[in-house]
Amino acid sequence: MSDAPTELGELTITRTFDARPDVVFECLTTPAHLTHFWGPIGMSTPLEGITVEPRPGGRYEFVMVNDETGDEYPTRGVFVEFDPPNTFSFTEADVAGGMTTAIVFNDLGDGRTETVTHQTNVPPMFLSPEAQAGMETAFVKMDAYLATL
Amino acid sequence: MADDPLSQTFAALADPTRRAILVRLANGEATVNELAEPFDISLQAVSRHLKVLEAAGLISRGRNAQYRPCQFEPARLEAATDWITQNRRIWTERFDQLEQHLKRMTHDKDKDKERES
Repeated sequence: MSDAPTELGELTITRTFDARPDVVFECLTTPAHLTHFWGPIGMSTPLEGITVEPRPGGRYEFVMVNDETGDEYPTRGVFVEFDPPNTFSFTEADVAGGMTTAIVFNDLGDGRTETVTHQTNVPPMFLSPEAQAGMETAFVKMDAYLATL
Repeated sequence: MADDPLSQTFAALADPTRRAILVRLANGEATVNELAEPFDISLQAVSRHLKVLEAAGLISRGRNAQYRPCQFEPARLEAATDWITQNRRIWTERFDQLEQHLKRMTHDKDKDKERES
């Protein structure tokens, strides 16, 4: 796995999966699959909180639930491109300027798939200085908590 | 240049000379003259870089009118790296779990085949 930032403010993550492009593409665009892996560690994404409308302009929405607190974190994406099994991209719809995430599926020809995930722009939580101060506080708290483990 | 803090931070960091200046300041405060020394550029050019860094909140300048030593301010840089780190973590964990999910799918398919035969 290699994942170097291409440009400052952007993020690229390259991964190889042991499955064909159509299978990996389907996993990332089908609620019944997504519910098994979408939430990062400590978060779940129940099936009823997932909306996928597989077309450009369609919704790509998730409600992630914190396993410990039950707090819900909705994200609302809108597909820009939807071209199975080659690529899809989505923007976070309620964001001015919008963060865009694009995933390209490269067929390695031996049953494996390389995905290149590229994110551009900046999420809204950083746009106001107040919000940023709040985030910094949250990270300081998290660091303090981690130090006690 | 977009005027939100994170865009400003990223724009300020996009220049290699400014990053080198930050690295130098992370080791302790320095005056404009001291900062200009290792670079093959004029004092004026260094001053311009310092203005950008100061506007982005990455450094602060001392009050002493004559020397105005520069100091590294880590908070903005941390906010920028936190965003990248957090996004990278989320997608890395997500893909780790997708990998496991794909393995389970293959495993289940093999089991189905066993049952059929």
